[in-house]
Amino acid sequence: MSALIELENIGKFYGNIVALQGVTTEVHAGEVTCVLGDNGAGKSTFIKILAGVHQHSEGTLKLEGEEVSFGSPREALDRGIAAVYQDLAMVPLMSVWRNFFLGAEPTKGVWPVRWVDTGKAKSVAKAELAKMGIDIRDTEQPVGTLSGGERQSVAIARAVHFGAKVLILDEPTSALGVKQSGVVLKYILAARDRGLGVIFITHNPHHAYPVGDRFMILNRGKSMGNFPKDEISRDELVQMMAGGAELDQLTHELESAGGGG
Amino acid sequence: MTDTAVVKESDKPAAAPAAADDERLAYRGVFQRLLVRPEIGAIIGAAAIWAFFWAVANEFGTAGGILPVLAVSSTLGIMAVAVSLLMIGGEFDLSSGAATGALGIVTILLVRDIGELGGAGLSLWVAIPLSLVVALALGWFNGTMVERTKLPSFIVTLATFFILRGFKLGFSKLIIDNITVGSIEDGGGHAFWVKVFGSTWVRNDHQLEIRDAIYTIAMLGGIALLVFAVYELAYVRRDRLNPAGLIALVAGIAGVVVGILVMHGTDGVSSNTLAAAIIGGSGIVGLVGLALWRYQPASGVTMSFDSKALTNAGVGIGLVVLGLLAAWQIDVQSQESVLDLVGLLKWPLVILGGMGAGYSLIQRGVVEFAGDSNEQVNAWFRVGAAAVATAFVVYAFMFMTTEQGLRAILFGLLVGAGFIMLAMAANEAGRTSAGAKSAIQLVTAASILALAFFIRDQSTSVKFRSEVFTILLVLAMVVGAWALTGFRFETRKAAHLSADKLGTRVGIVGMVSMLVGLAIKLLFTTDAEIAAGLPRAQFRVEFLWFILVAAIATFVLGRTKFGSWIFAVGGNKEAARQIGVPAARTKTQLFMIVSVAAWLVGLLLAFRLNTLQSGTGNGLEFEYIIAAVVGGTFLTGGYGSAFGASIGALIMAMSKQGIPAARWNSDWRFAFLGVILLAAVIANNYIRTKAESAR
Repeated sequence: MSALIELENIGKFYGNIVALQGVTTEVHAGEVTCVLGDNGAGKSTFIKILAGVHQHSEGTLKLEGEEVSFGSPREALDRGIAAVYQDLAMVPLMSVWRNFFLGAEPTKGVWPVRWVDTGKAKSVAKAELAKMGIDIRDTEQPVGTLSGGERQSVAIARAVHFGAKVLILDEPTSALGVKQSGVVLKYILAARDRGLGVIFITHNPHHAYPVGDRFMILNRGKSMGNFPKDEISRDELVQMMAGGAELDQLTHELESAGGGG
Repeated sequence: MTDTAVVKESDKPAAAPAAADDERLAYRGVFQRLLVRPEIGAIIGAAAIWAFFWAVANEFGTAGGILPVLAVSSTLGIMAVAVSLLMIGGEFDLSSGAATGALGIVTILLVRDIGELGGAGLSLWVAIPLSLVVALALGWFNGTMVERTKLPSFIVTLATFFILRGFKLGFSKLIIDNITVGSIEDGGGHAFWVKVFGSTWVRNDHQLEIRDAIYTIAMLGGIALLVFAVYELAYVRRDRLNPAGLIALVAGIAGVVVGILVMHGTDGVSSNTLAAAIIGGSGIVGLVGLALWRYQPASGVTMSFDSKALTNAGVGIGLVVLGLLAAWQIDVQSQESVLDLVGLLKWPLVILGGMGAGYSLIQRGVVEFAGDSNEQVNAWFRVGAAAVATAFVVYAFMFMTTEQGLRAILFGLLVGAGFIMLAMAANEAGRTSAGAKSAIQLVTAASILALAFFIRDQSTSVKFRSEVFTILLVLAMVVGAWALTGFRFETRKAAHLSADKLGTRVGIVGMVSMLVGLAIKLLFTTDAEIAAGLPRAQFRVEFLWFILVAAIATFVLGRTKFGSWIFAVGGNKEAARQIGVPAARTKTQLFMIVSVAAWLVGLLLAFRLNTLQSGTGNGLEFEYIIAAVVGGTFLTGGYGSAFGASIGALIMAMSKQGIPAARWNSDWRFAFLGVILLAAVIANNYIRTKAESAR
């Protein structure tokens, strides 16, 4: 199977600061690619390159075999790459259906009198959410009244509906409780099963390991490797993510400081 | 993993969606759905303020009093609507006031003759589009500056405000050496453009002898349609219609018509009372008949009173009676001696009474409804209590300087508090027993009826007397019918598509009918009125512009892409941008909308006044912002309504016109505006909390 997205030696510099260097990975349809890294590892820069917010400074980014560089989020979206951000996903005071169709409202009428087909928008939003297994009470309710997990899920469903081939999820579980995280992970799998290539960015290997098919670990702007699931165990993943030897050292220090507890 | 994946939140069982709908989503009734609209507070406030000024100043009930309010509200309202769009989009424009004058002056300078008088000497056909281009450029400048510099729009447009102010003065002096710029009459094509921007309709020139008949039919028909709409939205339809109900409905309508004819043909008190009884009685028969005809009766109506509801109802009736007594005893003829006695006491009395009433209302609100699942009802009462308390505090503040003050305050406070208590008692009883709620509502209807007759007999103002009497009569009838049908018919627990559609449409037709009735009454005069020497009230075309702007803005905000984007950039700009909304462009367009509105207002002012002062419009930007906020727009952006802003403008205009009409010192106007603004912001904040957090 050929990859949806291939990245080769991608790098990004802000002036003389190296934010990201030598990142190589690929994203396949129907697979979850996890990008793991601690704070400051370059995860945000990585997403922003893929989502079209920034452009990469070196290396090649191939979408379905064709070399690309996105000028704007809209451009990336038009090519089928949708990013769902942790806090920025929704407008809280707007209704679910307006959020769902924001920026791509279905319209009726002829220019200059063209209006949003609210009936269609509401029913499509409800049906699409139901397909993802999300049961929204009323699409008129403001998104602010939904729980954090539900909001992420609406954002995922929205991306799926608008023909995203690649879904980028930025730390979707970091602000959520255990149960809510479970809900979001389930929707990640639902999106995967619908044939999307999912890029799941997180600093929590315990969330990544159960759903991921491929893991890329970032540390201080550099890729520490790119592993299919059968080549890496959960423990190895945890180790690598925290910087291997550094974690051993830290564990040792903590244990001696805490009296072996 | 699968364990965590299937567990949802504890409060949200993952049952089958169809069954879960009923349980998790209680069907919101008609009133509850209305309550979450941002403009509802403004509508209640506008009605309260209008009724208040109407009671205080007679002419507020006449065309001569209303048309000036509409004229004042027009220019204010056009700007308030545009400013509310910008504020929903999360920005301010402090230059909007100065821009109205500036763009008017630009137009005038463009049309003035060349020569020693100065000006460019263009035809209006050229000057008007040219000044529109200037307006667009101004808005583009504001928007681009805000977007490029990332500075708060407050600062950027404050700078624009001063620049415009300086330009207005500087250019006026430089070009024509005068701060009064005129006149627009000089322009070619004035005869045409004055029709578009400056024509008037003088009421006394347009007679319509059947006006009152049209008005009555339109109003009663409108009320009937509204009641039908509410029934349709609130109750479950029968499977098969009940002909007996239809007969009662027809009989009721016939009775109301007979009652109106009786009332129309007489001036005698006893025949009027008879007519009132006929109208009220047949109205109730008709409304109950309507319910019997179409809607499903409920099974098992209970009748049991709990002590709290009974106490509340008792206190409520007591307060209403006390209020009536207070107004009765302190008679207009003999009030001076009574007022002398209590003259020293009146300030402490009012302050203590107001504080006590306000505190107890809030306490009751908190205690009665804390933890109540029906939070919307809670909201109703808090908003209502806040509105009433504000109205009375303002009333006390302004009105104590006049002779009838004490009487009116006591009457208003006691009667108002009494009805609130009755409404709370009905709500209380409704939670345990449907029958008890009906009983308390019937008592409320009877109290309204008593109030109607009291006002008819006691008030010295003929106009106020007859109109308030009629309104209260209809109100008593509706409350009475509500009591008789409210809990004896199956209320809707789920959406019913065709009924919802019919109900909404009929409701809109009803409201349009009432508006048409009011408009006809406002725009036309009769022989009798001319003979009575009524003032020559004018209706200006500005108001049509206002309606047009408000309608377009409401449509854009509610039903178009651009409208969604406005909410999005104001609510969460980053999210909007990430999803592909052109945020910077949307905001710039909003600034341009404001400056185009300023251009329109500048033209309207220029054609109305013919000459403009260089200071025209300076300082009005805050009035626009207040009107928008009063109309439910959040200062922080992301929420609001254009319709609400136009109601806010009406409120501002009413207070501007009403204070002199009530013969108070108009210096108090600003205090009044401040109180209204504060109340509006508090109410908005409350609604926002609900909208963001209510589950």
